[in-house]
Amino acid sequence: MKILIVEDERRLGQFIRKGLSERSYTATWVASCREARDALCETGYDVIILDLGLPDGDGLALLKEWRQNGFNEPVLILSARDAVQDRVRGLDLGADDYMPKPFSLEELLARIRSLLRRQATSKETVLEHRGVRMDLLARIVTHQGQPVEFTSREFALLEVFLQNVGRVLPRTLICEKIWESHYDIDTNLLDVYMSKLRMKLEADPANPLFKTLRGVGYQLL
Amino acid sequence: MKSVGVRIAFWYMAASLLTLGCFFRVGRFLLEQHMIHSLDLGLASEFEQVKRRLGPEAADLAPAQVAERLALNASVRYLIEVHGADGRVTYRSRNLSDRVIPDKAMQGHLVSLALKRFFQSLKMGSPQQLPADGRTYNAIVGDLGELRIAEYSAGNLMIRVAVPKEQVRNLVVAYQEVFYGMVILMVIASSVIGFALSRILLRPLRQIQATAIQIGSDNLGERIPVSTVEDEISNLARLLNQMFDRLESSFNQVRRFAAEASHELKTPLSLMRLQTEKLLTEGGLTPAQEESLHVVVEEITRLNKIIEELLFLSRAEAAAITIVRKPVDPRTYIESFAQDAQVLADSRDVRLTHMHSGDGRVEFDPRWLRQVLLNLLSNALNYTPPGKRVTVTSQLMPHTWRVAFEDEGPGVPPAERERIFEHFVRLAHTAQHDKGSGLGLAICRSIIILHQGRIWAEDTSTGPGLRVVFEIPLTAATSAGAVTPRTS
Repeated sequence: MKILIVEDERRLGQFIRKGLSERSYTATWVASCREARDALCETGYDVIILDLGLPDGDGLALLKEWRQNGFNEPVLILSARDAVQDRVRGLDLGADDYMPKPFSLEELLARIRSLLRRQATSKETVLEHRGVRMDLLARIVTHQGQPVEFTSREFALLEVFLQNVGRVLPRTLICEKIWESHYDIDTNLLDVYMSKLRMKLEADPANPLFKTLRGVGYQLL
Repeated sequence: MKSVGVRIAFWYMAASLLTLGCFFRVGRFLLEQHMIHSLDLGLASEFEQVKRRLGPEAADLAPAQVAERLALNASVRYLIEVHGADGRVTYRSRNLSDRVIPDKAMQGHLVSLALKRFFQSLKMGSPQQLPADGRTYNAIVGDLGELRIAEYSAGNLMIRVAVPKEQVRNLVVAYQEVFYGMVILMVIASSVIGFALSRILLRPLRQIQATAIQIGSDNLGERIPVSTVEDEISNLARLLNQMFDRLESSFNQVRRFAAEASHELKTPLSLMRLQTEKLLTEGGLTPAQEESLHVVVEEITRLNKIIEELLFLSRAEAAAITIVRKPVDPRTYIESFAQDAQVLADSRDVRLTHMHSGDGRVEFDPRWLRQVLLNLLSNALNYTPPGKRVTVTSQLMPHTWRVAFEDEGPGVPPAERERIFEHFVRLAHTAQHDKGSGLGLAICRSIIILHQGRIWAEDTSTGPGLRVVFEIPLTAATSAGAVTPRTS
């Protein structure tokens, strides 16, 4: 998997490149619009991580240019500007995801995985994992064969986990999927819902179903 | 009279009518003078005739002789009265019968007198066609109406010749009728002209208005077209354009600041967080060290939140935040919010009641408003002890949507209630759950103001606690760019 990192801050760019290399991605780091254009012309990439504030131009303009020229690589915008407007504009211009700074490496990896997987989304209507069975059409959840009552929010939350078994799901990503916003992170709403899921599905505390990654997110084991 | 155009048309009409009225009055006076002048000429020639008939020995004639000489000249039109040297009447024409021609002039109309004086001062008055010892005046005689009278002396006789002014009056009445017709025509013509005039006069103002409506936070670069002619309106347009220049540059400053501050602050924060997490994932730390690093990560997140909130406030105060209004049914919106609110309240062991009344739709930005609801809810939950209640009331009223959060906490003294919406203001008895930045309510107020609404705190209806209420209008106010400007 080849990843292009366009980030003007030297230390941040190198840190991401190193972090990705350790997870066996092939990462290239460039620091300007000009270098990014050259890099993209030379070879294809599976994912591009694009910072918006570049010394020789605007990342959004670069993205627009790429999309007009027919480059379809998934683009993950990495930006300090977290105004909703920029976010919406970025997605409108053809970005595939948007991640506000500061972020954790786990979150970046989760989003990259989600981008790579996007083309091959499973169309399964029944999800199953460790005795938890979820029927998306009938909207029924059973645990060890026993039906469990779920509210619509809990159902949506469980669905996100069952579609990402074993993967770390950052809080921001979950909130975006469930509430279509990232403000809810401010409250402990997600933690409260997680404790409800645990109460309903974790029979044995010694053998947990969900793992909490402090400050990062949750993982369905 | 709310439109300047209507006022201009009205004033134009009033001015035209006033001018017409003045011209009419002067015209009537001049016409009257002209008529009277011709009457006076007639009177003078009648006197000459009387004098001729009486002959040179007029002074010595007996009253019977006077009557005899004048009887031949029995004019129907003129009334003649002859006074002897002793002042007694020696002759009275037949058509006068027993009436007396008065010797006192009646008081003239004030306006007529003023006009007369004015025209005399201009030396435009009719030149006296009468003998030097004669005088003319007007008087009313019973059934004959107003008379024009000329008084002359011939030797020791005094002769008064009079003629009814009926002719003059008739002409004046006819003239007045024409005038009334003219008034009606003038009202119609001047209102049409006045309206057209106001349209022409106000066209530059309408252009200014159309441009001003178009200039929002997204297109501050637009300017009002200024005509090359230097007049009051182009000066106003230039002045407004200068104001827009200043506005644009300060807007741009705020935006640049927001973008640059974000970048400058968040990039180092990213590195701090990444490095800290690296230490945590590499392992080999004592539990106490690990805990310290977790605290660092949590504080980085908190710092980031404060930066975001401050930037949001600075942008909102510069009106650089765009609100995307969508028609939403407040009932379903509140229901959906209450689902999450209930879960949060349960986790704090606080009872939550919510209710909604009224059907219809409200136009607002659902994302921003959700933040307001969440902020108000967490405030209420933070100050409400376990076991107590938080009540959310949503009411759809004819023009506004009102939502109130009522808690059973310690409340806020009235003097502090306005302050809690300011930046970083926290009250002495901060609840233990509160990990907020002290900006939550300020953000709520910004968002509500962006929706042209208002938010305030008040006493609860029952006992202690605080009630925070916000109100937003059902639809965007017309002044806020919701108007589509007409392009002319």
